[in-house]
Amino acid sequence: MSRILRWGLALVLIAGLLIGTVLFLPFRSWLPGGTVGDLPKSEVVNGTAFNRLFPKAQAGETIVFTQEKRGFSEARLKSGAQTRALLAISDTSSAPEARNKFLSPVQRLQGWPLVEQGSQASALLVADRFQVKVIGQGSGLDQEQRHELLGAFDLAGLAALNPGAANSRTPTPTSAIPPGQRQPVILPTPVLEPAA
Amino acid sequence: MSTILERLDRLPKRNLTVLALKGIGTLVPGGWRNLTSADDLIADVLGSNDPTLIAQVRRRADELSRARHEGYTRAMSLYDAVNRSQKTAGGLRVLANVAGGLPLVKQMAKLTPASDTLQAVDLSLKVGAEMLAFTQVNGLPGDSFGDFAASLSEYAGEASVRMAALVCFDALLPLGDQALQRLDGLLSQVAPRELRDLPAYAGMASLIPGRGDEAHLTFLRRGVDTWLGWADGFVGGLGLTGQKAVRALEGTLGPWQGGFEQLATFLDAFTDTFQHTGVQAIARRLVERAAAEI
Repeated sequence: MSRILRWGLALVLIAGLLIGTVLFLPFRSWLPGGTVGDLPKSEVVNGTAFNRLFPKAQAGETIVFTQEKRGFSEARLKSGAQTRALLAISDTSSAPEARNKFLSPVQRLQGWPLVEQGSQASALLVADRFQVKVIGQGSGLDQEQRHELLGAFDLAGLAALNPGAANSRTPTPTSAIPPGQRQPVILPTPVLEPAA
Repeated sequence: MSTILERLDRLPKRNLTVLALKGIGTLVPGGWRNLTSADDLIADVLGSNDPTLIAQVRRRADELSRARHEGYTRAMSLYDAVNRSQKTAGGLRVLANVAGGLPLVKQMAKLTPASDTLQAVDLSLKVGAEMLAFTQVNGLPGDSFGDFAASLSEYAGEASVRMAALVCFDALLPLGDQALQRLDGLLSQVAPRELRDLPAYAGMASLIPGRGDEAHLTFLRRGVDTWLGWADGFVGGLGLTGQKAVRALEGTLGPWQGGFEQLATFLDAFTDTFQHTGVQAIARRLVERAAAEI
């Protein structure tokens, strides 16, 4: 191979790589690892939708919103300067393993499965998708107070955010099958008919 | 790249930074606790010592801090950029002070003065970094501006020692007790291209809204205006002064015989208070989220 050809080839290769990089740069955010569980943003409900569903503050208490992300919203229940509890709603579509603990619920609240996590946290799964949680802080809340707080969330409004599964009040085990295709496929069984 | 909780576990338990923060902590009600164990933090938030629950929260927190769009790592890189710049600038000033003693290099020492305007810009960059980091970590909480303001002051209250350190080390010590009143005047003298003299600006520029140095400077000045409204009350409420800060620091660091400005330079060059408390603040919010999502 002549020398000029070799140099030419090398330059073409370098130019190709450079152009490739420049073309690829705008798509960097599409690379895996951008979102939790690599779910597209549109499949997770935005935290803004959860804010209005939080309980209203009682006299002497305040609700201060602390975090709002895609699929998550959190507030603190305070009385004076004391934080009494963390209140949160999250979309479990980015954390499907969180649904597993609701498979054999001991208790139910307004029909939705209720689970205790440790001595200070109560969790509720609404519409098989949204997890509502109350975690006592500082001196803590007893179980009854936590359940009362869970009931004060607008659970019907929350269930309405997931129209697909609004009427299924029992959680389904997590599987690799995407939501919407979870029903077992029933194949029509051929019926043998005598030939006429 | 290490996750936020790994960085929390690696924070120093006892060094100059920790001692300086402990000193400032005596000025703030409630004091300061150097939390450097992720498991302790998780147990504190959950109110439970169950090892399986703690492991679940930890796994979720690591997953969240690895996801680029979640902002936790981005907030951390803002703090890192500011910290790196502070150390470089502080180191240069220490060098200049040392060099000032030698006759031959005396002329050179005059080239790197810590002018008040540069100090003011440095403070405004830190306040700007704080606000950008807040939105990266917490999003825009609530539905109204009132909700957002409440959320911001909640965050500042939680990090009161961090704010006290910022006010003392970057305003009261280098700029004097009237620092907050002088700040706006000092910032109005800054030319947009002077921003480029600060290494932190290069690391932050892409995250500041607006295009060009001028828009960025406007953003920083507005940020400082908002912050001043809060900081005035904070300083007044605690009665913070440069003198008080020095006395509090002497309680943990030992006696100091130099001027206030030199102490500020020394702290800039040899401590990482902004980064140290930054890791702790982000880790707490991250764990609060992970605990709610498991």
